[in-house]
Amino acid sequence: MKKETLYEFSSESVEKTEEIGALLAKELGDSDFVALVGDLGAGKTAFVRGMASVITPDAPVCSPTYAIVNEYTGDKRRLCHFDIYRLADEDDLISIGFYDYKNCVMAVEWCDKIAEVLPEEYYLVTILGSGDETRKIKVEKIFN
Amino acid sequence: MKILAVDTSATVLSVALAEDEKTVAKATLNNGLTHSETLLPTLEGLMDEAKWKFSDIDLFAVSEGPGSFTGVRIGVSFVKGLAFGGKKCVGVSTLEALANNLSDFCGIISPVMDARRSQFYNALFISDGKELTRLTEDRAISVQDLEKELEKYAEKPIYLCGDGYEIARKMLKNENICDTPSERVFQDGASVARVALAEYKKGNFTDDMGLSPTYLRVPQAERERLERLAKEGK
Repeated sequence: MKKETLYEFSSESVEKTEEIGALLAKELGDSDFVALVGDLGAGKTAFVRGMASVITPDAPVCSPTYAIVNEYTGDKRRLCHFDIYRLADEDDLISIGFYDYKNCVMAVEWCDKIAEVLPEEYYLVTILGSGDETRKIKVEKIFN
Repeated sequence: MKILAVDTSATVLSVALAEDEKTVAKATLNNGLTHSETLLPTLEGLMDEAKWKFSDIDLFAVSEGPGSFTGVRIGVSFVKGLAFGGKKCVGVSTLEALANNLSDFCGIISPVMDARRSQFYNALFISDGKELTRLTEDRAISVQDLEKELEKYAEKPIYLCGDGYEIARKMLKNENICDTPSERVFQDGASVARVALAEYKKGNFTDDMGLSPTYLRVPQAERERLERLAKEGK
């Protein structure tokens, strides 16, 4: 596995976390995969909201904890926002149709839960901290 | 009997209109676009060209799985909607329909669909060039186990079809495996219609309420429900 750190930031606010998401989104192709890792309330959804502001502006972003996936469609591109917290294993991924999603940017929260979710090449966003703490946000490019 | 047949169980979308054994019209899309967006316009175009009305249709046929969970859901729920109100329906095994693409070939017919986790959705059939006979149930099977099973049928040509065709050709080491013409490899609405008609004649049909998807694996929502019931001691 090869890792390349793209950037590391501190974030004191939801807005700042969104800005960092937007920054990454500007680098993404039409079907890149972004894996998000961080505790409950760390700001994963805020990060994706920032991404959506670039990829599919005006799409209303919310946490897909209950729906498992929210699809945001823009003029040119599509962003599929997953939360796989409630999924147990690869069978669950197959059953929700995870692998049927193609030709869209994928943003997947709780990627550390199921190893099989990750493709060969992806962006890994790690958000450390929760509650009132300052977040440490690291964005890496991973090649397997 | 006018039959409308739909297959959205894999990347290819295929819909067909048939009058008994005769295919009247057929459309197949293999462009990677979402079935939920292409299925209705494709079918409507076909119905227009064939001058058919939905009210003319006597039998609704759908490939009910196994296959892509999303694809199977789209096909089955779509046909349920069309057949709403108790119209006659037949849910066809995706694998049996695929095998029917090759029913005029002599030998072992082995549809293979990519089930991930190094498995195929598969069933084995034997054909004398006229009629298919089922040898196994539909199942998810590992590459190794399928390889072992195919060894049992020495000296018979083996034909593969389905979206796992390319992978299976690479992974299965068996000298009896022959090339399948590319236009016969993927899902074909006309095959779904043929299998549905045969099932209907045997009395195996249902209505919109009776149609249900066959996944061969427990879907996530059902698993969660079973776990919850177990926890509640039910």
